[in-house]
Formats: sequence, structure tokens, C-alpha cells
Amino acid sequence: MAWFTDRHFFLLAVAVYGLSTVYSVFLWRKGFRKDDHVNYLLLLTAFVLHTVAMVRRGFSVNHCPVNNLFEATVFIAWSAAAAYLVIGLLPKLRFLGAFASPVLFAIGVFALMPELDPPHGPAPQFTGALTSLHAATILLAYGAFGLGAAAAGMFLTEQHDLKFHKLRAVLSLLPPIQRLEIVTGRLVLAGFVLFTIGLEAGRYLPRAADAGYWSDPKVIWSAFMWLVYLALLVSRLGFAQSSRRFAYGVIAAFVFLLLTFWGTNLLSPLHHP
Amino acid sequence: MNVVVIGLSHHSSPVELRERFTFAETKIPAALKSLRESGIAEAVILSTCNRVEIYAAAAQGPAVAFEELKKFLIQWSGNSQLLEHSPSPQRGAGRGEEAVFSNSNPLAPSLSPLGRGEGVQLSGDELYTLAEPQSLQHLFKVACGLDSMVLGETEILGQLKEAYALAQQHGHTGARLNKAFQRAFHVAKHVRTHTSIQRGSVSVASAAVELAEKIFNSLNNRDVLVIGAGEMSEKTARALLSRGARSIIIAGRSFERAQVLAGEFGGRAVPFDDWATEFEKVDIVISSTSAPHHILDRAKLEPLMKARKQRPLLLIDIAVPRDIDPAVNFLENVYLYNIDDLQAIADDYLKQRQDEIARCEAIIAEKVKPLLVPKIIQPQINTDAHRLETAPAKP
Repeated sequence: MAWFTDRHFFLLAVAVYGLSTVYSVFLWRKGFRKDDHVNYLLLLTAFVLHTVAMVRRGFSVNHCPVNNLFEATVFIAWSAAAAYLVIGLLPKLRFLGAFASPVLFAIGVFALMPELDPPHGPAPQFTGALTSLHAATILLAYGAFGLGAAAAGMFLTEQHDLKFHKLRAVLSLLPPIQRLEIVTGRLVLAGFVLFTIGLEAGRYLPRAADAGYWSDPKVIWSAFMWLVYLALLVSRLGFAQSSRRFAYGVIAAFVFLLLTFWGTNLLSPLHHP
Repeated sequence: MNVVVIGLSHHSSPVELRERFTFAETKIPAALKSLRESGIAEAVILSTCNRVEIYAAAAQGPAVAFEELKKFLIQWSGNSQLLEHSPSPQRGAGRGEEAVFSNSNPLAPSLSPLGRGEGVQLSGDELYTLAEPQSLQHLFKVACGLDSMVLGETEILGQLKEAYALAQQHGHTGARLNKAFQRAFHVAKHVRTHTSIQRGSVSVASAAVELAEKIFNSLNNRDVLVIGAGEMSEKTARALLSRGARSIIIAGRSFERAQVLAGEFGGRAVPFDDWATEFEKVDIVISSTSAPHHILDRAKLEPLMKARKQRPLLLIDIAVPRDIDPAVNFLENVYLYNIDDLQAIADDYLKQRQDEIARCEAIIAEKVKPLLVPKIIQPQINTDAHRLETAPAKP
């Protein structure tokens, strides 16, 4: 079984995320009318495979597996899946999985691109407890933002149905939109706190003498993302921003994060010393 | 011992007739005692606004038991004249023969002597009689709400439990009915859990409540404003209160009437012209005035929503002509539903329930089997006198 690597386990996990995505389309078409454990079990299965992949990778490098873009991306998806499995224990929020699985599948497919996972050299790119804290908290934050975006998508779908008097809005087992709004807000807030801790930890990491912290493209990008999420939270909590705009903002911010994460990482001397 | 059922319900007879057979709860123990003295081994009387039924276990064959039960039911309810005019197996009367009810029994348990069911005609089809297995299937269907006027409603299960408890408490049930009723309660729970027969709201008022529950995280701290109280808005407000709404504010053209209603709901009344000032505080508005024009439009609501800091607002417009301009639905966090929208929700739920009937019946048919008396499977005995005669009796 030596040929069956952690990447194969992750590939299996992504395949199950894909199955869950297909199943979610059926759930959607059926209007989420019946309580359904199948999707939750599919995501749980994928999560187990996903965890095995991460554990095997961690043991193979003797380190928290957040040492390159593949591992970082895998960690983001893992944290989002873990958060969903906890939230999904509440029956009314179980259908969040139907919105989370396409996101997890997309992240998984992206992570499997071979360029993201170059063979490790003699030593991992990142070492040390502070580094692990930095990487883990930031990636957990991305996971929370991702799940927040899924909840926001669910909110927008249901709100649209309620606004336009679609029967499925009432007949479905989806939670009330106000609860979805609260869940979205809390996930974004949790992600923001983790993101802040991660960025702060990054400031104290050892770096080359000539490498400036605030001039690094990844740091600038992260600071920008931090400001985007801060603006979203302040507009929501302080200025009663409409729920719909907040939801669109959360989705847009996460899509932007996903699209630019890889590029800024490649441009960053701090992350590619 | 065969379980048999005799009775009449909203399916078989109008209220004018049903009310003449109603048993007052306080008189049921005496009625059961009298019934058992006539040779019936076990009995339970279920008397609700939609049905009067006697569930009995009798040692004699169904045809004999039905005759006893029919006689009892008619005599006890004070409609003994029926015996002279209604179709009976002995006389071989057919369908369509009619009898006029009269309240001949002064001791009738629940009938008032005047004003109820005067001149009601009995065609002979109103009283239905069922032997096993249909009697048991009928009991299960009643417990599951499948035989109710509002398909799938749950109130009947409570009434059935009360009727059974009353009979059991006075020692009028035995092994046969105990087992049948316990099983019926179990099946009702099973059907409720495994089918959608009781899911959703089939009335406009409860559809409105369900809608509110899709918008608000909880109804517990929600305030409701009722503008122009009518029957439907009262029902809706009552339904919201029963699901936990915090308070009701009534704004009616007649302030006195509004005060009376507010008193009933434990809320408060405001003058009709001041209803807009309440918008900042309330979450749900039910409007049912008789105004010939819109009393709320987009221009009026827009500044009010700003004052509410964009908190969600559910507007339920049950007035015809409509009170609220449909354009307000384009405002952020405003959800406007009119009477047709709510009726559509209720109708769809009803259709869902109807689609579940076959599944429920299959479950019931399966669950009834262990209760049946071995070897004997009785065919259904209908109200038709001829069928009653030809039904095979239990040896």
C-alpha cells in the first residue's frame, strides 16, 4: 500500500465531495423538503479521507502539514468541512452541506493541481511552532470565510424564494433566513479573529534581513483582505448594512480570496525564500 | 372477540345530524355502563364535533353487535323515533328511506330539546358500521388523522386518547380494546414520524405562522400589529400568539372594538390613525381593513424601514381589495404576502398530505395484521342494510 499516498486519499476525498455536490443538486431540485442525512454522511466520509490524507502528510514531513500551497489549500478545505460537520449537527442547518460541498469540491480540485505540491526539499519551507500557529490560524480563518460564503449563498437563495413567493421557501426544511444571517455573521467574525491572530503571529516569524514584512505582496494582500472583512463586519454591526448586501459581500470576498490566494503566494518572497 | 365500530362523522352526515348524537363527556361513563349491560363486552365512545363513534368488542357476531349498538346509539341520544323509520336489516329497508328525527328521550345526554337538528332527515347512509379488519383500520386512520376533516390534524389523537382513558378508567375496556387502542396510538406516532401526513399548514392562519418562522429566527420576541381586525386577521394573530409572539397591537377604525380584541389577546389597542407610529417596533403586520385603496405604499414604508434599521418586516395583507401596495415587496427586508399567496401555501401542503395517504394506509394495513382474530377476516360491512344482513358472523 506504499504506492497509496496521502494525495490518493485526498483524491478520494475530493471525489466524495464531488458526489456530495451532485447529490446536492438533487436536494436543491427537490426543494430541501425532507430531512436528509445522506449528504451529511457523504461529507463526513470525505472528511475522514481528507483527515487521513492530512495526517499521513503530517507524519511524512514530521510537521503540521501546511508547508506548501497544496497543503495550505487542503487545510482550508479541511477546516471548512470540520466547521460544517459541527454546525450540521443541528437539523435545521444540515442543508448547509448542500451549499458547502460545491465550495469544498472546487477547493479540492484546485488543490490537486500538481504545481501546488512540489516535492519537499530536505527541510519543509515553514518550521517552528509560531509558523504552525500562523499558518493554521490563517487557513482556519479561510475555512470559516468559505463556510460563511456557503451560508451566505444559502441565505440569498432562501431570501430570493421568500421575496418572490416561491412555495419551496416555505415548504423546504431550510432554516429561517434570520438564523442564516446570524450564522454567516458569526462565521465571518470567527474567521476574522483567526485571521487577525494569524497575521499578528506572522509578524514575529524569522525572515531574511533584507525581506521587509509590509512590502511583501502576500502580506499586503492579506492586510487588504483583513480590511475587506473588517469593512464587512463594521458595515453590518455598526451601520445596519442590509443582510443581502452583507451576504453578497461575504461571497465576493471569498471568491476574490480564492482567485488571488495562489498568485499572491507565488509572488511572495517571504513564502518563497 | 370481534372489534366493531358504529358511528357517524363529517363524511357521512351534516352537523345538524351529528349534533343530535353527541355525548357529553360527563355522561359517557353512564352510557358505557348501559352499553355493556346490553351485552357488549368492551366499549369506548368517541364524541367530537366531527364524529360520534362507538368502538366495541363483542362476543357475538358483528351483525348482532351492530344491531345492539345501533339501538343503543339511537335510544341513548334520544332519537328513538329513528327505530320506527330508519332502514333496518330486519325490515330489509333499502337506501334512500328517510326518517325524521325527533328528540323523544327527555334523558338524552347532550341534546337540548329545541333548536338543534329540527327537521333533519335520515336517509340511512349516515350510520356506518365496520367489522374487522376495517374496524381496526378505521381506528388507526382516525388516530392518524386520515379520517379527519383537516387531513392529518393531530387534535383527534388527543381526543381519542381521552375517550380511551375515560373508558379504561371506568373499567369498560378489556384486553381486546386495550391492545387495539395502544396499537393505534403507536401507529399514529409511527405515521407522524415516517410520513409527511401531518407536515405543514393547511389553513391560511397557520401558513402565515409558518411563513413568519421562515423569516424570523424565533417568534418569541416578535411584536405583531393588526390593522383593521377581521375574522381572518384575528385567527392569524391568535396563531402567532400561540407560537410564541410577544405581543399584539390592534389598530382598528373602531377604537372600542380594538380595545376589546386587544384585551382578548393580552395586547394593546392604538387609534387607527396612529398605526404607522408602531412600525418601528413591530416585526409582523397583518392588515385587513375595508379601505378601498392602499393604506401602505412604498413611499410611506421606505422611511419607516430606515427607522427600523432594516430589520425584517413581514406584511400579511389579507384584505380584499388589498391594503398594501405590492411595490413595497421590492424594499429590502420587506416580505409581503397576500391572501392568495397564503392560500397557495396551504393548498400545496394539503396536496402533499393527500399524496401521503397511500403510504399511511400501507403502514396501517401492515400494523393491523397482528391484531386480527386468527382465521377470520371479515369483509367490510357498510351502512347499506343489505350488506349488513349478508355479512358473515363470527362463530
